[in-house]
Amino acid sequence: MGHSDGEHQLEGDDLSADDASWSDGVWSEDDDEGSGSGSGSGSGSGSDADSDEAAAEESDSSEDEVAPRNTVGDVPLEWYKEEEHIGYDIDGRKIKKRDREGRIEAYLKNADDAKNWRKIYDEYNDEEVQITKEEAKIISRLLKGKTPHGNVDPYPDYVDWFEYEDKGHPLSSAPEPKRRFVPSKWEQKKVVKLVRAIRNGWIKFDKPKEENNLYLLWGDETDTAENKRHGLSYIPAPKPNLPGHEESYNPSVEFIPTQEEIDSYQLMYEEDRPKFIPKRFECLRSVPAYEKALREGFDRCLDLYLCPRTRKKRINIDPESLKPKLPSKKDLRPYPKTCYLEFKGHMGPVTSISVEITGQWLASGSCDGTIRVWEVETGRCAKVWNVGGDVRRIAWNPLPERPILAAIVGHDLLLINAEVGSEEVQMRAKELLKIDEMAPQDNTDGKKPAVRWMKHEKLDGITLIHHKAVSNVEWHFKGDYFTTVVPSGDTRAVLLHQLTKKHSHHPFRKLPGLPVAATFHPTQKMFFVATKKFVQVYDLQKAQLVKKLESGFREISSISIHPGGDNVIVGSKDGKLCWFDTDLSTRPYKALKIHSKDITNVTFHRKYPLFASSSEDCTAYVCHGMVYSDLNQNPLIVPLEILRGHSSSDGRGVLDCKFHPKQPWLFTAGADSVIRLYCD
Amino acid sequence: MPKHFRPAGKKKEGNAAKYITRTKAVNYLQVSLAIFRKLCILKGVFPRQPKKKVEGNHKTYYHMKDIAFLAHDPLIEKFRQIKVHRKKVKKAIAKKNRDLADRLLNRPPTYKLDRLVLERYPTFVDALRDLDDCLTMVHLFAALPAVDGERIEVKRIHNCRRLSHEWQAYISRTHALRKTFISVKGIYYQAEVQGQKITWLTPHALQQVLTDDVDFNVMLSFLEFYETLLGFVNFKLYHSINVNYPPILDPRLEALAAELYALCRYMSTGSGRVIGNSESGGVNEKESGAIKENEDGNNKASAKTDESELRLAQLQHQLPSNEPGALMHLVEESTAVDTDDDETKECKSLFKNLKFYLSREVPRESLLFIIPAFGGTVSWEGEGAPFNEIDEDITHQIVDRPTQSHVFLSREYVQPQWVFDCVNARIILPTDGYLVGRVPPPHLSPFVDNDAEGYIPEYAETIKRLQAAARNEVLPLPGDEDLDNSLVAAMMDRTESNETAEKKRKLEMLEKQYHDELKMEIDGVTFSKLSNEKPDKSQDTMDKDDAKSDHEDEKKQAEKDNDDISTALMSRRKRGLYKAMEIGRERKQDKVELLKKRKKNADSSASAKRR
Repeated sequence: MGHSDGEHQLEGDDLSADDASWSDGVWSEDDDEGSGSGSGSGSGSGSDADSDEAAAEESDSSEDEVAPRNTVGDVPLEWYKEEEHIGYDIDGRKIKKRDREGRIEAYLKNADDAKNWRKIYDEYNDEEVQITKEEAKIISRLLKGKTPHGNVDPYPDYVDWFEYEDKGHPLSSAPEPKRRFVPSKWEQKKVVKLVRAIRNGWIKFDKPKEENNLYLLWGDETDTAENKRHGLSYIPAPKPNLPGHEESYNPSVEFIPTQEEIDSYQLMYEEDRPKFIPKRFECLRSVPAYEKALREGFDRCLDLYLCPRTRKKRINIDPESLKPKLPSKKDLRPYPKTCYLEFKGHMGPVTSISVEITGQWLASGSCDGTIRVWEVETGRCAKVWNVGGDVRRIAWNPLPERPILAAIVGHDLLLINAEVGSEEVQMRAKELLKIDEMAPQDNTDGKKPAVRWMKHEKLDGITLIHHKAVSNVEWHFKGDYFTTVVPSGDTRAVLLHQLTKKHSHHPFRKLPGLPVAATFHPTQKMFFVATKKFVQVYDLQKAQLVKKLESGFREISSISIHPGGDNVIVGSKDGKLCWFDTDLSTRPYKALKIHSKDITNVTFHRKYPLFASSSEDCTAYVCHGMVYSDLNQNPLIVPLEILRGHSSSDGRGVLDCKFHPKQPWLFTAGADSVIRLYCD
Repeated sequence: MPKHFRPAGKKKEGNAAKYITRTKAVNYLQVSLAIFRKLCILKGVFPRQPKKKVEGNHKTYYHMKDIAFLAHDPLIEKFRQIKVHRKKVKKAIAKKNRDLADRLLNRPPTYKLDRLVLERYPTFVDALRDLDDCLTMVHLFAALPAVDGERIEVKRIHNCRRLSHEWQAYISRTHALRKTFISVKGIYYQAEVQGQKITWLTPHALQQVLTDDVDFNVMLSFLEFYETLLGFVNFKLYHSINVNYPPILDPRLEALAAELYALCRYMSTGSGRVIGNSESGGVNEKESGAIKENEDGNNKASAKTDESELRLAQLQHQLPSNEPGALMHLVEESTAVDTDDDETKECKSLFKNLKFYLSREVPRESLLFIIPAFGGTVSWEGEGAPFNEIDEDITHQIVDRPTQSHVFLSREYVQPQWVFDCVNARIILPTDGYLVGRVPPPHLSPFVDNDAEGYIPEYAETIKRLQAAARNEVLPLPGDEDLDNSLVAAMMDRTESNETAEKKRKLEMLEKQYHDELKMEIDGVTFSKLSNEKPDKSQDTMDKDDAKSDHEDEKKQAEKDNDDISTALMSRRKRGLYKAMEIGRERKQDKVELLKKRKKNADSSASAKRR
C-alpha cells in the first residue's frame, strides 16, 4: 500500500479517491464535519459532492489504473544495488539511478523548503515523494493505534432499519408468553429455600468471629477422682537424650575426634557409626544453622506416634550384687591352693594318675609308654615300667595289702604288681597275678570272647585282652572286682572282672547310648554307668535299673561319686559340671559352667568336703561340696580356687586330677608331662 | 491342628483379642490412614508391644481398647464432616457455583482440642511433665521462615512465635530457668516449673531451610496439638502469677521484633510505665533511627510506626483495666519472694546490679531471655531499647566480633558464652578468658554428670574450684563448709588408701624376699654362694623386673579369679546380665580412656608448639 499512496501524491491529484476508500456510504455524512478543520478540506469536499456509488466505483478503479513507474515487481532491491539502473519503465527502458545528493545540499534544501519534512524518499522508484498533510495526519493516527480517519465514529447510534410497528408482517407473530408476565415458580422456590435457610441459620453471612478459646483448663486439682486418666495405662514416651559435652559448639579438644578416627568411621557399619561428629567453632557468630533440625524434629514425631511402647524394667543395680553371697573362703579351709611339688620325668603327656590308698605312692601313666610310681612326699620316682604303648588310664587297687596297678595300655588292660610295700605283701600280690593255665575258651557261640586273661611275660603281670579298645577302668572298694568300659562294645560294653577268680562277665545287655565311664558305689552294691547323656544307676544284687540321671549335657566325659554315695558329679565335654543329689531328683541339683573347654576328669575327696575338676583349658577348679546328713538341707557348693600352672601342649591342658586320700592335696597331670601337687 | 486353632463360634482370647494390627484398626474405624494417623497423634494413642504377636512379628499392634477409644471420640465424626465439606466445595467449584463455594469456604467445620488436652493431661503437672517435646517443636516452628506459599501457614508460625515468647517471658519473670547450653543444634534451656524439670531446644536464630525429606502433615498435626497445649499451659501459668493471659503487647516493640522484651515489660509492670517507656523509646528512636534492624528482616518497622501509635492510643484506654490486677500482683510479689526456694533466689540474684548491653551480632532473643531470668538488666542496639550504648552504668557489653571500634573503659566486653557459662556455674566467672577476640574456654554441657561419666574435663574442674572459692568468700555457711570438708576428707581418704596400698605392696615384696631367702637357706645355699650369685642377679635386673611384672600379673590373675569364681554359681540368666553389665562398663571405660588419650595428645602437641 505504501507505494500506491505515494503514487497518488505524485500525480498531484486530490485525495478524493483515497478518501473514498475510507469512507463507506454509511459514514459519508459525518465525514464532512470531521474534515472541516483539516487543511485539505477543499479537496475533500469535492469528493463529498459525488454520490456514494460513484465514490465506491472510483476507489475500485484507482487501484488498477495507477501503476508504478518501475516495473521490476516485488523483488528485493538489493539485486539492483550494484547496477546503474533501478529497473525498467513500462516500455522496457532502463530507469537510471539519480545522482546521490550531498549532505550539504540536503541540508540546504531542508532549510529552504518548509515542506521538506513531508518529503520521503521512495527507494523503489528512486525518487522523492511529498506526502500531503492529511496523509501525515493519517500516519500519526495509525501510529497512535486509532482509526486512520478522524471522521470515523466507532460508536454510532443504533439505527433500526426495520420499522415494523405498523407494518403487516412483524418478525415473529407468536403472542407474548405468559411467563413473561408471571413471576417464576422455580425462582420463588429457590428464594423460599434460601430464606428458610437464612432464617434457620443454615446460611450465615457474617464470618465466624475469632473467639478466644483459651481458658483456665485445669481448675483446682483437689478432686483426685476426677483427675485420673481414664482407660489404659499411659506409658510416657522416653525423653530425648540430653546433650553431652561433645555437642557443644565449642567442646574441649578431647571431644573432637582426629581425622583418622573420622576416616575410620567410614569402615564401620551404618548403625555403629556415630551419628554426630563433634566440631569446634571459634565464636558463636560462626555457628551455622543446623541443617538437620527439621529432620530430627520429624524423627522425634515419628518415634512418638509410631514406636510401640512397653514398660521395661530397667534394673539399675551394682553388678556385684548379682553375684551370690558365698561363705568366706577362710572358713572352708583346708583346700589345695598353691603348687607345692612338681613330679617331672615323663616324656609325654601324663594321661592318668592314681594315688595309693595310704597316700604314700603315686602312679602315673603317660603317652610315652611308661608307667611310673612316685613317692609322694619327696617327689622321687620309685619305679618305671616301660609297657610299650600309650597308657590311657591307671588305677591303684584300693586295698593297701594289694599293691596292684590296673592300667590300660593300648587296647587292653594290664594288671601289674606295683612292687611297693613289705616283702610279704609283694609275695601275695605276685601270687594273685599268677595264671595257671589259659583261661577257658568259650567259643561255643562262635563269637570272639569279650575278654581273655593272658599272662604278661615281660612284666610278670596279667593282660586282659578285650575284643575292642578299652577306655576306662575302675576298682570296687573291696579291691577284688573291677570294671572296664569298652565304648564300642555294643552289648558287651561294660565288663565286670573278678581278680581272685580271674573271671569276667558283661551284665548289661542294653544301654542308652555309648558308655563313657562306669564306677562302683563306694559302700553299697550299686553300679553307675555314664553314657553320653545319662547316668544309669543299677542295683547289682537285684540286677535292675534303679535310677536314670539326666544330665542335659551333650557329652559326658567323667563321673565321680561322693563317698556318701548319694551325690554324683558329672563333667561334660562342653566345660560344664553338674551335681546330682540322687535323693532329690534325677535332674542336676546344680550345674556350674566353670571351664571354657572340655572337662577331663572330676573327682571327690574321700574325707574332706572337696571336689575338683580338671579341664583342657589348663585349669583345675577346687570346690567345696558339703553334704549334710540332714536330708532337708541341700548340699552347699562353693567354688574355692582356680589352680593354674600347667601349660597347654598340643591344645590339651590338664588331663587328670586326683585327691590325696588323706590330705587336702590335689594332684594334677598335665599334657606338658608334669604332675603337680597342690597343697593347702 | 494349627497352633492358634480356634473352634468356630468361639471368641478370640488373649493377645489375639486384645491387640489389633494397624491395617485392621484402620478398617475397623472406617477412616483413611491419614485421618487415623491424625487421630492417633491428637489423642496420643500409640502402638503397644504385645507379649505374643499373633499376626506376625513385623506388624504394628494397637490395643483394642485404644482403638475403641478412638472410635468413640467425636473428633472422628468431625473429620468425616471435614471430608464431606471438602467434597462439597469441590463440587460447587466444578459446577461453577462460585457463590455456594464461597459460602462453604467461609464456614468450614472446626474442632477444638481443649477436651483432648484435659483428657490426656488430667492434672497440670502431667502436662508440664510432657512439655519437653511440645516446647521443642513450637520453638522449631517459630524459627521457620514465615513466607507465604510455603508449606506452612504464616499464621501458625506467628502463633508459634507468640506462644514461645509467652512461655519464655513467664520463665524469665519467675526466674525458673536453671541451665542453658549452646550446642551445634541450637540452644538448650532447662527450667524448673512446679518441681518439673523441663528441657527444650531452640534452633539458632538463622534461616532454616524447609527440606523435602519430612512429612509436614505429620508435623503439623503434632503442632496443632502442641499449640493448644502450650496455650492452655501459658494461660494457667499466667493466671498463677496474676497476669491477664492473652497479653496486650506494645505493638511498636512487637513490630520491632522485640516481642519478648515487650512481654516481659507487660508482665513485670502494670500500665504506667509502658507509656513512659514508649516515650523514652521515642527518644531512642530518633537516635538510632539510622540503625537498621538486623533481625527478621523487619524493614517495615518505620512504615508501621504510624499505625502502632494509633494502636498505642487504644492501648492506653485498655490498660487501666489491668491496674488493679497489677497492684494485686505487686502485693503478691512481696509474698512470693518469701516462698521462693533457695535455688530460685540464687538464680534471681546472679546478675543482680549488672547492666548488660547487647551488640548487634549476638543472639539477641536468647540473651534477652536469659539475662532478665537471672536478675540482670539488659538493652540492645536497635529501636525500642530501654537504654543505649552510651549509658555509663553498663557493666558488661556482650560482643561477638574480633575488634571493637569504640571501647568504654567502664565496662567489660565479653563474648556471649560468658553469660551461658555463668548461668551454668551460678557464679560470676572471671571475664579474662572471654574477652573480645580470644578463643573462649570450652563450653561444657551442664546436663552431664561428670562423676557418673567417669571423666571430668579440665575446665569443669576449674569452674568447680572457682565455685568453691566463691562460696567461701560470699557465704561462709557451716553447711557449705561441711560439704567442702567432706570433699577434702574424701580426697584425703583416697590418697590415704592409695598410700596404704603402696605400703602393703612394699611389705609384701619384703616378705617375699624374706621367704625366698629362707627357702634358699633350707635348700642349703650358703651365703657365700649367694654372694657369688648376687652379681649375676644384679646383672640381670631386667629379669628381676620381669619377675616383678610376672608377680603383678599373677596378682591380677588371682584377683580376676576371685571375681570369676563366684560367677560360676550364678544362674544362666544372671550370668548373662552380669556379663552384659560388664560389657557396658567396659565400653564406658574405653570411652573415657579415649578421651584421656586425646587430651594427652592435645596437651603434648600444644606444649611442643609452645617450645
